[in-house]
Amino acid sequence: MAGGKGRRSLSTGEELNLIPIMNLVSILIPFLLMAAQFVHLAVIDSTLPAIGPPPETPPEEDDDPPLQLSLVLTGKGITVAGADAVLNPEGAEGAAPAAPVEGEEDQPTIPCKDPNCATPDSYDYEELTRLLGLIKDEYPDDENVIMVPESRIPYEVIVKTMDASREDKSASGEDGKARTLFPFVVIAGGAK
Amino acid sequence: MALKKKARASVSEELNITSMMDMFTIILVFLLKSYSTQDISVAASSDLELPLSTSAKEPQLAVNLIVTKTQIVVDGVPVLDLTMVPDEENPGMELISVPEDEKKGQMITRLYDRLLEKAEQAKALGEASGSKEHEFKGRILLQCDKTLPFSVIREAMYTAGQAQFGEFKFVVYKTSG
Repeated sequence: MAGGKGRRSLSTGEELNLIPIMNLVSILIPFLLMAAQFVHLAVIDSTLPAIGPPPETPPEEDDDPPLQLSLVLTGKGITVAGADAVLNPEGAEGAAPAAPVEGEEDQPTIPCKDPNCATPDSYDYEELTRLLGLIKDEYPDDENVIMVPESRIPYEVIVKTMDASREDKSASGEDGKARTLFPFVVIAGGAK
Repeated sequence: MALKKKARASVSEELNITSMMDMFTIILVFLLKSYSTQDISVAASSDLELPLSTSAKEPQLAVNLIVTKTQIVVDGVPVLDLTMVPDEENPGMELISVPEDEKKGQMITRLYDRLLEKAEQAKALGEASGSKEHEFKGRILLQCDKTLPFSVIREAMYTAGQAQFGEFKFVVYKTSG
């Protein structure tokens, strides 16, 4: 008799007891809420420029001089400079880079989109990425870039410039990843 | 038969929690997706708004140097307050800067003392643990407000450099994607 009763209650569909699961879930939710992260953080690596004498390695007998790419951020725009001259990849770069005339106010390589560079977005980062892509074509092994921001440049512009010089999202390689340009940034505090 | 039905209705008129379970399951999945075990955290405030970046490097645990619009904080302890000075090139505007009496050249003296202390602690800890992993590498996490002028950041970086921290990690918000 008892067995028959039990079987019948099973077959009529006694509801599953969800209370223990509810207990479990209501404990899990506060815990997960605490550990949930809605903003994701990342870091950008940078090092100080080496202080002191340069490393004691003999200068390599190399045909290619080091690039020493530097980006000068000013209140007018971004100047892209190489080892000893302002680079102009679109012109005849290797042929004869004209020495900048002393005392003359140079125009930046990439001027701001609006003349006053009022907001961080007025700098032309897309153009910078394109230009650095051209330089990378010339110097495929170089990965360092020196940033020389002016004192009054906001931090956000520096970060955005680092982003623009790190990789080129539009030009992806064979593996589908963005093309790496110059990922190693050194921040120099030169320009006043 | 009729009697039985009535009895059941009166005994087990329970709350139907199936729909609540459905909801909880969805919340659970969502929270599990956003679960993360990152070491560092950012105390968001109106004074500290980190810039956005496309960088994808994971942050590691290190000494935390936070430069907000109003103060400099090392590992949660405020070190000094920043001031506003009139901007010489843009009359009427103001720039955030480190007070002149706190500086020696480019070095922020109080911050230097604090960071040197941190460096000594980290070195002692690294030696005590004996493992290569915990060795002092001069790593420092910099959380800076995105509107700060470079001059303040340069002074903070210079000071950190003098206190043997040479490996800077700029903390940024990762853009989605």
